[in-house]
Amino acid sequence: MSLAGTERRRQLFTASIGTALMLVMGLALIWGFRLATHMRANIIALQTASTLQTYPEEISHQLNALRDRLEVRAYSGQALADLQATVKRFDQELRVLSGSVDADSPQLGHALLLWHQYAPVLEPVVSFGGQPYVDSDNAGSSLSREGREHYAEVKRAQLFASENARPLQTQLANLATSLERTSSAGATRLRSLLMGGVFAALVLAVVAAYFQLSRARHERAAREAQEQTRDILKTVREGFFLLDAHYRIGSVWSEALTRMFGRNDFAGLTFEELLEDLVPQSTLATAMKYIKLLWGDRAHENLMKSINPLGQLEITTDNGHGGKETRYLQFDFHRVMGPEGIKHVLCSVGDITSSVLLARELHDSQENANAQLDMMVGLMHVDPLQLVSFLDTAETGLKLVNTILKEPARTDAEFRKKLAGLFREMHTIKGEASALNLKSVAMRVHTLEDMVGDCKKKPELSGNDFLPMVLKLDELLAHLRNVREMAARVTALKDTSAGSAATAAADFAASAHAPLAPAPITAMAPAPAAPAAPPAPAAALTAPAAAAPPARSANQERPARRVEELSPALQSMAERLAQDHAKRFRLTLNGLAEVPAPYTATIKDCLIQMLRNAAVHGIEPPEVRRAQAKKDTGNVQVDFRRTAEGYELLFEDDGAGIAPEALKAAAVRRQLITEEDAELMDTRAAMALIFRPGFSTQEDITMDAGRGVGMDVVARSVYALGGKIGVSTHPGKFTRFKIVLPATDSLSTAVA
Amino acid sequence: MSNGRMNGNGKRSFKLMIVDDSNLMRRRIERSQQFEELQLVGTAADGVEALELFRRTDPDVVTMDITMPHMDGIECIARLVAMKPAIRILVVSALADKATAVEAMERGANGFLNKPFTDRQLNEAIAELMR
Repeated sequence: MSLAGTERRRQLFTASIGTALMLVMGLALIWGFRLATHMRANIIALQTASTLQTYPEEISHQLNALRDRLEVRAYSGQALADLQATVKRFDQELRVLSGSVDADSPQLGHALLLWHQYAPVLEPVVSFGGQPYVDSDNAGSSLSREGREHYAEVKRAQLFASENARPLQTQLANLATSLERTSSAGATRLRSLLMGGVFAALVLAVVAAYFQLSRARHERAAREAQEQTRDILKTVREGFFLLDAHYRIGSVWSEALTRMFGRNDFAGLTFEELLEDLVPQSTLATAMKYIKLLWGDRAHENLMKSINPLGQLEITTDNGHGGKETRYLQFDFHRVMGPEGIKHVLCSVGDITSSVLLARELHDSQENANAQLDMMVGLMHVDPLQLVSFLDTAETGLKLVNTILKEPARTDAEFRKKLAGLFREMHTIKGEASALNLKSVAMRVHTLEDMVGDCKKKPELSGNDFLPMVLKLDELLAHLRNVREMAARVTALKDTSAGSAATAAADFAASAHAPLAPAPITAMAPAPAAPAAPPAPAAALTAPAAAAPPARSANQERPARRVEELSPALQSMAERLAQDHAKRFRLTLNGLAEVPAPYTATIKDCLIQMLRNAAVHGIEPPEVRRAQAKKDTGNVQVDFRRTAEGYELLFEDDGAGIAPEALKAAAVRRQLITEEDAELMDTRAAMALIFRPGFSTQEDITMDAGRGVGMDVVARSVYALGGKIGVSTHPGKFTRFKIVLPATDSLSTAVA
Repeated sequence: MSNGRMNGNGKRSFKLMIVDDSNLMRRRIERSQQFEELQLVGTAADGVEALELFRRTDPDVVTMDITMPHMDGIECIARLVAMKPAIRILVVSALADKATAVEAMERGANGFLNKPFTDRQLNEAIAELMR
């Protein structure tokens, strides 16, 4: 402000000097004009005076001539006329002179005085109009009476003239001299005045030139500054603008704004109008409140900075190709103070999209790493043999799924059959993954299952509907490879740390590499982050090697152990199920060590499925149990034993049992049977419904039940082994499944 | 500050009220603040309690949590300011959401401090509040 003040003061100074000079010049000119006028009058008077001084003598001469004429009786008319003219001219010119010369001029006064005496003397002479002569023949011409009088007057005038003509002439000459002096003095004054005027004009010119020059310099500087400002605003990558007290954008803004907001009509736009189409209403409201706070002086700048809600603003704009584009902008606000408080708010806007995306990527990859770590920790708690068994089964299952997907199908019915097959396979894999607490796998299969479910709902199916599933399946397979790879690392780690190189580890490592070439661990990065698998409950931690019965033939050992080692997994699954469904029950497992190799997989699948059913449908919530005078904690009992004909598995829970009517109703609801069918069904037939494909009593689909796949899978696999399955129930008391399997020798070929 | 009182020694003194639903946080603030001129007149665990305490003790400086049962901090700020416009309120909140901060400031809060905070941050924020 001091700079501008100095500038203004200097301009004012220059301007006042200029004005003063102009005034001086104006006055000089006016004065000069008056002087010149006066001088002109003087000169004319001088000329007149000069002319007049010859008149008295001339009048004397003419009087003499007139007298002479009269004396010789010559013609006097001409002489009189000349005298008359001269006197008249003199009188006139003297009158004019007295009008133009200052009245107080003494010479003129004297001259006039003399003339006023002289004129009356001359008057009778010049006014003579008679005949001066009378002609007589004897004496020739003689003066008439008038002539005599005239002659006497002429002589008187002549006498007067001889005395006074000279003084009059002298007075007039003096007058001329005085006038000449006055003129000369006037001329000198005029010259000095003119010189003063010229000087003033010169000074004025110099001042004007200086003023002009300095203004030009300042203008140039201002223009340069303006140009620099424009260059800065054009080049800077941030958006800059000022907001006034009405939250309007000023007329100066940087061009980066155009790129950020896709418009260029910022001047006069309100902040609200700038954002209204780009951000949600709530964000806009907060932003406006914040701007309002900025204009108040209650909060200091640092505090305002810390609560800036526009530090990372997500905006959605058209990308110019009909699509939408999300970008992140960072707004910063600074108050611009004036003498009377806040004058403007300077707003700077940066496009931080790339850094936000980078930060997100970093975060994702960290999450991914964390997920891997979690999974690794999870895997450490899972028995390696179980894991390998699961991975093998899952892989086989998924290959089957792949085969199903590839099967040529044309009709809708064929597609639906495919879907049903896919569903069953995936449900099994999901169950096992859940049992092993491999949540990342279970979640993925769940998603795939959802896709199949969505497909089922479609009125018409085509090959294209299966494409997304193929992609998802690939992803799942990749994930399984990762799990296997990681499991191998975990085992290696466990081995080295434990110092006991168990055979299991070697097996594990071998099988980890044999079926599928594991992808290098780095290849996992692009896969979506796996949900963190929390460490398995303590029940799952039981050391597997120690629990294995020592006396067993070499070829039987591994498969048998697999089922036996399933018990911790089943216990852990039971705990999880109880927690998820707010149930309380105890799981007792007996004789699982007896399961022969060919049956292990089936038994495992069946147990998982039945346990799930028991937890979801069978065991009642504690308060319900209490109301029915049952113990709060339910019981689920599993017994496997060898019988004379083969093997027998009993699965019993002391839960709600199964009401045949409920089964029928559910089957009708799921359109597996008609209402007429249902009415005709007896209890036995109704109970058999639970082994029908696609049957479920559960309305909500969860990870554990409700997909309508369950007991039918169990039944199918039991039938596949040549076995039988039966169910007995007492509503409100218990449900008992009984699976009977033939001796292994009798179906060795069937299973191999 | 307009509402500081003069105590016997001729120094200004302020009555402090701490509002936070966490007992731990209340004690933390109480112990961490190092101002002689601040005199704790009471702590409240929610907005309703804070208003009740305010009526009894007429505090000058308040630290205010946002997320509290019964009546949240935002509402409580508005009511306190309505009753005593000269009151100074420091919002101490774990809410990362800037909109809440803006809302609180709009209702009349004078400062904002994010949880977790260091003793130094707390003292600076309170000093700023009493200036």
